[in-house]
Amino acid sequence: MLVLTRKSDEKITIGDDIIVSVLEIKGSQVRLGIEAPRGIAVHRSEIYERIQDENLLAANVVATDFVEAEKLWKPRQGHQDRLGGERED
Amino acid sequence: MKIETTRFGRVEVPEDRVITMPHGLLGFPDKGRFCIFQQKPGSPFVWYQSLDDPALAFVMTDPWLFKPDYQLDVELAIHAMGWDGDGDQVPLQCYVIITIPRGAPERMTANLMGPVVLNPNTREAVQVVLSDEAYSLKYPLLEQQAA
Repeated sequence: MLVLTRKSDEKITIGDDIIVSVLEIKGSQVRLGIEAPRGIAVHRSEIYERIQDENLLAANVVATDFVEAEKLWKPRQGHQDRLGGERED
Repeated sequence: MKIETTRFGRVEVPEDRVITMPHGLLGFPDKGRFCIFQQKPGSPFVWYQSLDDPALAFVMTDPWLFKPDYQLDVELAIHAMGWDGDGDQVPLQCYVIITIPRGAPERMTANLMGPVVLNPNTREAVQVVLSDEAYSLKYPLLEQQAA
């Protein structure tokens, strides 16, 4: 990993078109500004990790639990119209 | 094509039903091919079965069935996936992944923070990360129904 020391108002350029600016440093918090082209996703890492963890949990469906879940949840709207569309085209 | 699945045995998936996820699902970067099917007609759920791993299958549903005001910004996904090439409006489909806790289906939740967005024209899908934290990672399906 490349490690750089930056002060407030200083920047880092990544590739040709990504710029990370240090806007403010206050105690243990740092405010960063990120300029990146459209199509480059920029997110807080912990959100990625939380979705990743949730995907891992969701992947372990037990068949009997699924059957029970189907009985328990009855959406009010006409769900066949919406979900059925995917198979019929 | 015929694929082996742990839950459904040998399944025939027509080539035009194969969905590719160039970026995979978060946590499953190397599982790039899926298909969507309904196990029983009229079920509120669909299965999202991996074509690369017989044991890997997710339960998904339509978020607007239980959250009519659900909104997501798909612009980033459209750009990242290059779906805007022809300039036409892209008719996208959206699903959310359901987590059914082992032995406690009544506590099932929907992941509104990481919806799966599908482009039916290209048969490509991407898991969108909604990072504004407006939506829950574990949205309870049943409490909402009782309310």
